[in-house]
Amino acid sequence: MAAVDNADKMICSHCKVEMNHHCDKIVYNVDAQDAGKTDPSLGGIIEEFHTCPKCGGGASRHA
Amino acid sequence: MDASRSLFIPVILGTARMGRMSLHAARLVVAELGSCAGVETDLIDIAKLPLPTNDAGEAIKQADFSAKMSKADALVVVSPEYNHGYSGLLKHVLDSCLKEYIHKAVGIVGVSAGPFGGTRVIQNLLPVMREIGLVTIFWDVNFSIVQKVFAEDGKLLDESYIRRIDKFLKELIWMAKTLRQGREHISLD
Repeated sequence: MAAVDNADKMICSHCKVEMNHHCDKIVYNVDAQDAGKTDPSLGGIIEEFHTCPKCGGGASRHA
Repeated sequence: MDASRSLFIPVILGTARMGRMSLHAARLVVAELGSCAGVETDLIDIAKLPLPTNDAGEAIKQADFSAKMSKADALVVVSPEYNHGYSGLLKHVLDSCLKEYIHKAVGIVGVSAGPFGGTRVIQNLLPVMREIGLVTIFWDVNFSIVQKVFAEDGKLLDESYIRRIDKFLKELIWMAKTLRQGREHISLD
């Protein structure tokens, strides 16, 4: 996965363009350090998935 | 979408069993994919992936496999049927990635020595594919009585499979293009 800057809009570090946020997925098997970030209404952590429109590289981060 | 970028559609051979006839099926799909304009492919043999078995999931992610899944626009999984299911090793390999699969297409090729052509393993793989973020197509390829479809040296004995694979791949490529457009340009927000 391409490295990205962790700003509101994720930026592809390779192409320097804004990435497209196309998916949220709930992740249940979280690490201990992430346990406090669990959304109680959903029971897990929301992971955002972003893709660069130029190179197609993907990246993700916790919402 | 940048049309100059080829689609990358690797084929995962989902068995490590000795004497596997699924290897012939996987090689045939790779050959057919390789003849499609604008498509690159590769055969990924799970028997050759150096994944440890003392842990599981993304903790054992293997860099080369992960990179290929990240690059992929779609996947083909070729799987024989083990007691109506898929091999434990295939699940172990698939579970080693997650974010790499999101909103990408997958087509499944079932292989069996019996008459049902892996229909039960395909059915059992569908919920797994869904959970890891892959988008399944509604075409499958079913190699029934596979020992009569291929000679021992891998030569295809039943040419009707070419047309079936062609229909399957057309749907998979359409879905791969559509999902690439979606991933790159259609926002969730």
